[in-house]
Amino acid sequence: MLVVLLLLEFYLVPSIVEVQHGMPDFLILMLLLLAIREEPGVGALTGFMIGLVVDVLTPAHFGAGILANVLVGWGAAYGRGIFFADNLLVNAGLFFIGTWVRDVLMLLFSGTALQALPAEALLWAPMQSLSTAVVGVVVVAIFRDWLAIRIEM
Amino acid sequence: MRGAGGQETARSDVLLFVGCIALALLALALPRSWALTVASGLRQTALRPLVALNARATRDRTARFKLTAVEHTSDSLAVLVQQQEAIRRENENLRGLIGVRAAQSHPIVSAEVLHRPTVTDTRMLLLDVGTADGVHMFDPVVTASGLIGSIVISGAHSSSALTWANPDFAASAVTADGRVSGVVHPSTTGSGAATVLELQGIASRDSLVIGTVLMTAGAGGTYPRGIPIGRVASIGTDVNGYDKVYRIIPFAAPGDANHVVILTSPRDSVFAKLAKPAVPQ
Repeated sequence: MLVVLLLLEFYLVPSIVEVQHGMPDFLILMLLLLAIREEPGVGALTGFMIGLVVDVLTPAHFGAGILANVLVGWGAAYGRGIFFADNLLVNAGLFFIGTWVRDVLMLLFSGTALQALPAEALLWAPMQSLSTAVVGVVVVAIFRDWLAIRIEM
Repeated sequence: MRGAGGQETARSDVLLFVGCIALALLALALPRSWALTVASGLRQTALRPLVALNARATRDRTARFKLTAVEHTSDSLAVLVQQQEAIRRENENLRGLIGVRAAQSHPIVSAEVLHRPTVTDTRMLLLDVGTADGVHMFDPVVTASGLIGSIVISGAHSSSALTWANPDFAASAVTADGRVSGVVHPSTTGSGAATVLELQGIASRDSLVIGTVLMTAGAGGTYPRGIPIGRVASIGTDVNGYDKVYRIIPFAAPGDANHVVILTSPRDSVFAKLAKPAVPQ
C-alpha cells in the first residue's frame, strides 16, 4: 500500500494531470493511515520523516512541514483510542481534519501573512482535505485486508 | 492494553514526540542558507530517486498531452524568426555603423517545474535542472508571460527557485518607457487577500495610471532589464498615508507555471526585445 501511495504521489498522478491547488496529498494520507495504527511516539516519528520529505521538496520554509506533520502524526495516533478506525465515515473525517489541520499549521509556521490566511485556510485547504478524504476512503476500501479494517458505515 | 509496561511505553512516546518537536524547531530556526543547503543535499542523495521519478512523470505528461501544442509553438516561432531575420541583420549593420557593441545573447536553460500538492508550493518551485545543466544561484527564472523569480540554490540535478510570491522576494522595476522606477515586493493586502506585488519607492512627483506595464529595471544584478513583471491594477497609499503604493498584478503565476526558462549569464537588457507583453485595449 505504501509503495502504491508513493507511486501515486510521485509518478502516476503527476504523469496524468498537472499538480494544482486542492489536489489530494498522498503523503499526508500515508501518515494518517500509519499513525492511527501505531503508538503516538511512532506517529510523531512517521510525521517527522514525511514532513522532512515535504520540506525538502517544497522548501518554502524549512521545518514548517516537519513541525506540522509531527503534530498531526502525534495527534492521529493519540486519538485512536477516541474514534473507531473501523468506520469508513470516521476514517473519511479523520483524513479531512488531519489534512486541513496540517495545511493550516504549515501556513502558520511558514510565515503566511494573516490577511492571506483566511483564503488559504478556508478555501484551498478544505478543497485539498476533501479530495484527500475521498481518495483515502477508496484506499481504505481497497486495502482493508492489509489494514485489518472491518468496514462499517 | 497498557499495563505496568504501559507507563514505559507512554514515556518513550513522549520522549520521541519531544525529540521530534525539538528537531523540527531546530530546522525551523536554521538560517535560510543552511536550510537550503540541507534540503539540496538531501535532494541530491536520499531523495534523488523521488525527484527523478517526479521529473520523469512531468516529462511523460508533456510528451503525452502537450506534444501538439509544443509543435505548434515551435512552428510559430520558426516562422517569426524567419520574418525577423532581415530586421536582425539590418540592426547589426546599423550597430556596426555607429560603433555600438552587439547585443549579448542569453544562454537559456529550459526546465520543468516539479509542483507539489502543498499549500506553500507557489512560494518556492523545485526545478528539474541544476549545476550540471549550467544553472546557478541568482539566475532569473521566467516564462513566456513574464518574471517568476530567481534560483536560490542549485544542486547537481535540481534547483529551487524563489518566486515573486515568497515574502523574501524583491526586484527593481521600471515602467516600459523607463520614466518611473521603484521596487516591487509581494503583498497580501487589499480585497481578496490574494498575493500580488506592490510597487514602492516612487517619487511623490511621479504617478502611474492603472494598466501601466512594469518591467525589471536591471538594478541589483540579479534580473536583467526588460523582463515583464506585471500591470498596475490599483493605487493606494502606505500605512502612514504619505506615499502612493501601486498594486501590480503579475503576468506569470508560479502555481500555473509548468515549464520555465532560466536565463544564465551574461545578463543585460536584451530581454526587452525578445518578449513584449500585449498592451491593454
